[in-house]
Amino acid sequence: MCNFLYIHIPFCISKCIYCDFFSVPFDKTLSEEYVNALCKELILKKQNIKFLKTIYIGGGTPTVLSEKSLSQLFKCLNDNFNFSSDIEITVEMNPGTLDELKIHTLIDSGVNRFSVGVQSFNDNELRFLGRIHNGENAHNTFKLLKKYNLENFSLDLIYGIPGQTMESWKFSLENAVNLSPSHISTYELTLEKNTTLYKLIKDSPNHFTMLDEDLIIEMYNFAIDYLSKNGFEHYEISNFAKPAFKCIHNLNYWDRGEYIGIGAGSHSFFNNVRTSNIMDINEYMNSINSNVLPIKESIVITPREELKEFIFLGLRKKEGINIKKLISSHLVNEKLLNALIKDFIDTGFLELKEDYLRLTQKGILISNTIIVKLFEKLEI
Amino acid sequence: MTKNIRNFSIIAHIDHGKSTLADRLLEYTGALSEREMMEQVLDSMDLERERGITIKAHAVRLEYKAKDGNIYILNLIDTPGHVDFSYEVSRSLASCEGALLVVDASQGVEAQTLANAYLAVEHNLEIIPVINKIDLPSADPNGTIKEIEEAIGIDCSEAILASAKEGIGTEEILEAIVKKIKPPAGDDNNPLKALIFDSWFDNYLGVIVLVRIFEGRVRPGMRIKMMAEGGIFEVSRVGIFSPKMKDVHELFSGEVGYIIAGIKRVTDTKIGDTITDADNPALEPCPGYKDIKPMVFCGFYPTQTHQYENLRDALNKLRLNDSSFVYEPETSLALGFGFRCGFLGLLHMEIIKERLEREFDLALLSTAPTVVYRVTKTDGEIIHVENPSLLPENYLKIEEPYVLATIFVPSEFIGPVLDLCQEKRGTQKNFAYIGKDRIKVDYELPLNEILWDFYDRLKSISKGYASMDYEFIGYRESDLVRLNILLNGEIVDALSLIVHKDKAYYKGRELTEKLRGIIPRQMYEVAIQAAIGNKIIARENVKALRKDVLAKCYGGDITRKRKLLEKQKEGKKRMKKFGKLELPQEAFLAVLKVK
Ligand SMILES: Nc1nc2c(ncn2[C@@H]2O[C@H](COP(=O)(O)OP(=O)(O)OP(=O)(O)O)[C@@H](O)[C@H]2O)c(=O)[nH]1
Ligand code: SF4
Ligand SMILES: [Mg+2]
Repeated sequence: MCNFLYIHIPFCISKCIYCDFFSVPFDKTLSEEYVNALCKELILKKQNIKFLKTIYIGGGTPTVLSEKSLSQLFKCLNDNFNFSSDIEITVEMNPGTLDELKIHTLIDSGVNRFSVGVQSFNDNELRFLGRIHNGENAHNTFKLLKKYNLENFSLDLIYGIPGQTMESWKFSLENAVNLSPSHISTYELTLEKNTTLYKLIKDSPNHFTMLDEDLIIEMYNFAIDYLSKNGFEHYEISNFAKPAFKCIHNLNYWDRGEYIGIGAGSHSFFNNVRTSNIMDINEYMNSINSNVLPIKESIVITPREELKEFIFLGLRKKEGINIKKLISSHLVNEKLLNALIKDFIDTGFLELKEDYLRLTQKGILISNTIIVKLFEKLEI
Repeated sequence: MTKNIRNFSIIAHIDHGKSTLADRLLEYTGALSEREMMEQVLDSMDLERERGITIKAHAVRLEYKAKDGNIYILNLIDTPGHVDFSYEVSRSLASCEGALLVVDASQGVEAQTLANAYLAVEHNLEIIPVINKIDLPSADPNGTIKEIEEAIGIDCSEAILASAKEGIGTEEILEAIVKKIKPPAGDDNNPLKALIFDSWFDNYLGVIVLVRIFEGRVRPGMRIKMMAEGGIFEVSRVGIFSPKMKDVHELFSGEVGYIIAGIKRVTDTKIGDTITDADNPALEPCPGYKDIKPMVFCGFYPTQTHQYENLRDALNKLRLNDSSFVYEPETSLALGFGFRCGFLGLLHMEIIKERLEREFDLALLSTAPTVVYRVTKTDGEIIHVENPSLLPENYLKIEEPYVLATIFVPSEFIGPVLDLCQEKRGTQKNFAYIGKDRIKVDYELPLNEILWDFYDRLKSISKGYASMDYEFIGYRESDLVRLNILLNGEIVDALSLIVHKDKAYYKGRELTEKLRGIIPRQMYEVAIQAAIGNKIIARENVKALRKDVLAKCYGGDITRKRKLLEKQKEGKKRMKKFGKLELPQEAFLAVLKVK
């Protein structure tokens, strides 16, 4: 039985140029039908969920939904599931999609964690990224949150934007910290195929270039230093939190806990099977409306894959992985592992404390290489 | 009987249309039904069809009812056009009384036109010039005829204008074959003398030998002997290709056909060897037999060590079919266990590598090709060095193989061509105008220098118009040194090369720079150095990898991330580990990119 729930809202007002997540332009009628389908899917999967410890509503931009749709969704959740007393309910939102009415609806529905996609406080950068808001919109959103004494809110920031300077990155971080959020996520802008940004950079490399690697590293390191100085714990590669404000829902992913995903393109992990839902919204709804689970792919996780997941997910966390647990899986050769770890520790990429193996700051930067080496050397 | 037989070859420069013309002849004489007809029928290997080149010789028997009312047996031998296989071409020609010299009317005489025509003249063949591709708008038949007369000195007054593509001139060609080419001489009652001009291994039948019978006859039950190799076998079947295999009771003098005699290895049937009657042997073999030696060597290593056995089996199987290719196990400090392999030339090497990867599904790493050096050691012993890392520290002298290269080039490009030959340590031997705007130059060049990028550069500086052919002329002493490459202070034996002293510094610098671009960034910095003996002559650095991290797992999509990491791991499989370093295949061929 599962306690963690993810709900995907694949609608946005317009597409940001770097975005390759699954989202389509918002359409009121479609979104209403979609929410109907979400409620049906919740009921189809009801027997897998005992009571809920977290609900995470992500997107896309969940706050583009009307109050009516949002209320409907939460009513369905309340009617069908028990919530644990300390439940964490997160909603992702973008500045400019939130008004007083919606805030009310969310608060009344029990939402207690707000994740705001600010990305930057520099208007030029926001415009370049194709965001629908500017810095002022962001400030207004936070004013609104504060007005209701909401203190568990998180900000997403992006670094590595073409044209971005160290100064403007500092500016965004300072603005973020001054709002005293409980949580901050920083993401490096990566160039994904099938995005406008990708085309832009391929077509006019003289006008647009991705930032120099050294500058990006400097930005990342600066964020780590600056945020820890300001009381944020760097608890995962991209995430920082004030004490007691880590995102419980996301930690569950990295701990390989089970979760149920609802909505087009969402993912679930249940009974050792990882499944993903159909992405196409209409196909998804058709399937739900004929009472068929909209499964696109389901993969039974083998012990080998389990071990790989354990390693690469665990190493994302500051806390690291318990090597006792690694060894007890019987898939790794203890001698091999020890030799390998020693090598990485000697070269300053990993550290080992009380059976917990973790990446150093130097190691985090090349974590993929290290993880792949571990896979390779451990022959998994 | 023999007076109605005509044995002929088709010779030409690469791509001038030999195989296409063969198609037309097959079609015209009805050897193949239309349904069986496909382009370049005789190129049977997948590789031949894909690359559009002929790699092995082929023979086919045609029956032609000539205008004089008689039926003639025409044995057509299609030959490979590439210089790597020139010995095989010479044996094919030795099996014939005549040759069609095909020249592309839009290209004119090229280096191999000349080389092959000279070979034909040497073998006293009747040469019938065929001016091909006259359908092309850019065809210049008259100019081409003039070039042939001037460059080769044969009479072209009766040259045939043809288009193999459109079937123009086919009948005329067949008539010329019948009228101009002599029927084979020879006597069925003499002791058997059959020249081997090709052989291959068939899984069911064993070795199939293609022969031209010069004297005597051969039939099943006979005991035959290879005059040079010495093997004795009992014939089980003989037959002809028409073009499919067809057994006959006996092959007679003058005929072309196959012999099957329970032979297990192609190495027992060397091309150019003479087959005779073991119980009534001929006094002497057909002339011209040479035990050809591979000219170019390289190392093949499996990228995954567990494929070593598979590689050995695969090499063994290919060798069954190709006696001109040799291999033996070798060990490299950098690459582990592999094989040193010898080839007739670079094309031959590429073909073998491609077949190993394709037909045997092996992931191979090959080291840069090298020529064979002849080294006189301090104690006077002479050794052949096929692997640069095995060159002894001290020696009395070192010699390298030289070739005589013949280059054809439009006069407007002659300047850069001469510069190139100069740069490659060439000595000019001859210079002549062919026609009014083409030049033929002969250069003596170290084979080593033309192995690298010579041909590609020749083509590019002449906008593709230059052509080249070469022949081995012997060993010459040279001022050569071994250039070692060190990675993080350790010599990588598989990257060593032998270079001329005057070029060592330049090559060292270029090579380290190329390697810097090829070696991917790793967890640690990589220092690349080039050294002669203990002296470092160039160095470069590959900075350590600094950033390789994935940002986010959206909405719990763990599988995608796992697959990404697994893909990254797969990519590493193709890398060769060298201590802590990982080197891609390109690193071992970097030397080829150095001008
Ligand atoms: N237009 C035209 N093209 C021709 C003619 N004859 C051959 N070709 C083309 O020329 C190319 C080379 O022909 P091949 O018959 O493969 O030449 P080849 O001499 O056997 O080549 P190698 O075996 O590689 O030496 C092919 O693309 C043919 O289609 C012709 O008469 N006219
Ligand atoms: S708001 Fe987020 S999900 Fe929507 S387009 Fe922009 S980056 Fe993509
Ligand atoms: Mg051909």
